[in-house]
Amino acid sequence: MSLSRERATQKRLALPRIAGRDRAGTRMNRLRRYFRHGNIGYLFVLPAITYMVLLVGYPIVSNFILSIQDVTVTTLNALGKPLVGLRNYQTLLADGVLQRSIGNTFLFTVCCIVFQFAIGFALALLFNMGFPLAKPIRGLLMIPWMIPMTVTALMFKFMFSSNVGIINQFLQACGIIKSPVEWLLEPRSAMFSLIVANIWIGIPFNMILLSTGLTTIPNHVKEAAAMDGASKWQSFLFIIVPMLKPVIESVLILGFIYTFKVFDLVFVMTNGGPVNSTHLLSTYSYKLSFVLFKYSQGAATANILFLILLAVSIFYLKFIYDDRRAE
Amino acid sequence: MKRFLVSALVIFAMLAVVTSGAFAQSKKTVTIWNYWETPKHQETLARVCKDFNSSQDKIEVVTKYIPFADFKKQLSIGAAASELPDIAIIDNPDHASYSAMGIFADITDKLASWPDLKQYFEGPLNSCKLNGRLHGIPFGSNCLSLYYNEDMLKAAGAKPPKTWDELKSVALKTTKGNVHGFGISSVQNEEGTFGFLCFLWGSGNTSFQIGNANGIRALSLVRDLVKSGAMPKEVINWTQGDVMNQFISGNLAMMVNGPWQVPTMRQQAPNLKWNVVLLPVGAIPASDLGGENFGVVKGDKVDEAIAFLKFVANPAEMKTYINDFGYIASRRDVAATQFTDDPIMKVFAAQMASAKPRGPHPRWPEISDALSLAMNEAITGVATPEAAAAKAQKTIDTIINTK
Repeated sequence: MSLSRERATQKRLALPRIAGRDRAGTRMNRLRRYFRHGNIGYLFVLPAITYMVLLVGYPIVSNFILSIQDVTVTTLNALGKPLVGLRNYQTLLADGVLQRSIGNTFLFTVCCIVFQFAIGFALALLFNMGFPLAKPIRGLLMIPWMIPMTVTALMFKFMFSSNVGIINQFLQACGIIKSPVEWLLEPRSAMFSLIVANIWIGIPFNMILLSTGLTTIPNHVKEAAAMDGASKWQSFLFIIVPMLKPVIESVLILGFIYTFKVFDLVFVMTNGGPVNSTHLLSTYSYKLSFVLFKYSQGAATANILFLILLAVSIFYLKFIYDDRRAE
Repeated sequence: MKRFLVSALVIFAMLAVVTSGAFAQSKKTVTIWNYWETPKHQETLARVCKDFNSSQDKIEVVTKYIPFADFKKQLSIGAAASELPDIAIIDNPDHASYSAMGIFADITDKLASWPDLKQYFEGPLNSCKLNGRLHGIPFGSNCLSLYYNEDMLKAAGAKPPKTWDELKSVALKTTKGNVHGFGISSVQNEEGTFGFLCFLWGSGNTSFQIGNANGIRALSLVRDLVKSGAMPKEVINWTQGDVMNQFISGNLAMMVNGPWQVPTMRQQAPNLKWNVVLLPVGAIPASDLGGENFGVVKGDKVDEAIAFLKFVANPAEMKTYINDFGYIASRRDVAATQFTDDPIMKVFAAQMASAKPRGPHPRWPEISDALSLAMNEAITGVATPEAAAAKAQKTIDTIINTK
């Protein structure tokens, strides 16, 4: 990063002057010299680091410790909590529900991202064409993102209800299905319904970020391409997409993180049912901790979720770092 | 002038707050957590607390509502963070878990000389105990019985069912178009377990047995009801309140529900003709004992909390609120005077004779989860009753055999 380069120049400039004073050698001088060397930057990041250590670092460490202990109802208030090493993780990995939750979480995330991104991108391109009322309509489309998740979840729960839900009534009226589909009562269709609901919620997020990105592409580039005879498709593929690359990367990775840790939607719509078939890592961790009182196993599940997201975040940071270096 | 008035008002308001704060400090505040969601319950509880507060000048009781879904979470977080109420009004099967967590105080010795304790029914009182030690006292009890729509049964030429086989046939006879013959809340949580246990116990089993022929018979009953179309599969998403709403909207001919719905049903559907009978019997008559307990939380206000409990347990006071809650008193002397002129509530009072408490076991939530999972597997058809029963038994065995 540029900080080290700056420090190097400072060092070169400052060295001769300091060498003269160094013989005086008081502590004050040493301190002053230390900060003049550009190390003062550490002082500026200190508040942020303190904040991170206390509010992010501490819970992570404490959660990890909880996950290697055996804390249940009977040991919650005991003084010495038994350490069991990785036994909680072993129990969980052999547990069918956890395996299914991991699979569900990935299925949920990948399906949601693909459709949210594709539809969001299409809408961003559409509204970028600048027809009358484009801006107010784009504003209206932000509503799904702003409605509290619980409200959305309840709404979809009603819509997918097999007897009175509007979706079944609509499909029956169109003659697509003959008898009502039991959307939230069958494991597979319940997962499908959750994915549909979450896609609806996530489209605006993708649209608005990509739309902002699109406005940064100068018009003359696109015009020049059109002059050179590029078709719409070619200009999309070879001009717009490459120029949007940083935005696309951020949208995809942030989208992944947001979707991977979704909780409230599932909690309200299916609560992991029917028969534990729609649990995500987040809802299963909640159930273990606060319904079954297996606090340590709940913590271990949360850690598995954390590790996966950590891997994705490192991947993301590497992406950004490589991009900056390339520039 | 206006500005002067406003500032005078503000100063007055601030003074009022400060002085009332000073007065409040001379009293000890006892906080009660509860999860009753109906306005009637909240009003009655507030009235009882007011009675207590004006009866003496040392203790001030305040109540706090926490939704049922959040209640257990709040209590266990509170235990870890030492931010607990002084009394928690909790679902009786959870009492043992929280006592095991060390949240509740052992009040056995403090109540040893209290003569009223002998008046309490054994089932509710046992649910307050862990290893024989008392950690609270019962608030009030209820149980489940069978509601039926008189017009629908008459139209189908059927009489209220007395056995499981009759239940299946009457439910099928009354199923027509949008109307289903039978409904019982079967959500995969404690609420679903609560209903299902009527069948499991009715087969002759205990709470901890499901893998045998009896357990399979209970699971087959719910599976058959759904398979024949007499019970909607959606019961796995219906709370007891949802089932009641379906019933008063005329979408169900029969339902299993508790007496706490009666006040609401009378108010919301005054023209609906319905009645209540004892639950159909499998092998033995059985119903699930519901109801709440007062758990006394450990800390420096145990004595004040006990003073309040003794006040509300007083027969004269209990008679003023227990009917408004739609509960059956946990004291013999009060229960005997209840509902002498209410034929519906009399049925529930009679059903109490066969009502049993769930558990008690410190790990009851896990056992309950295994049972409601098996019931959901049978209803959705994900597993056969045999497979679901075997799996649940394996889980329960692991829980009760490990310490």
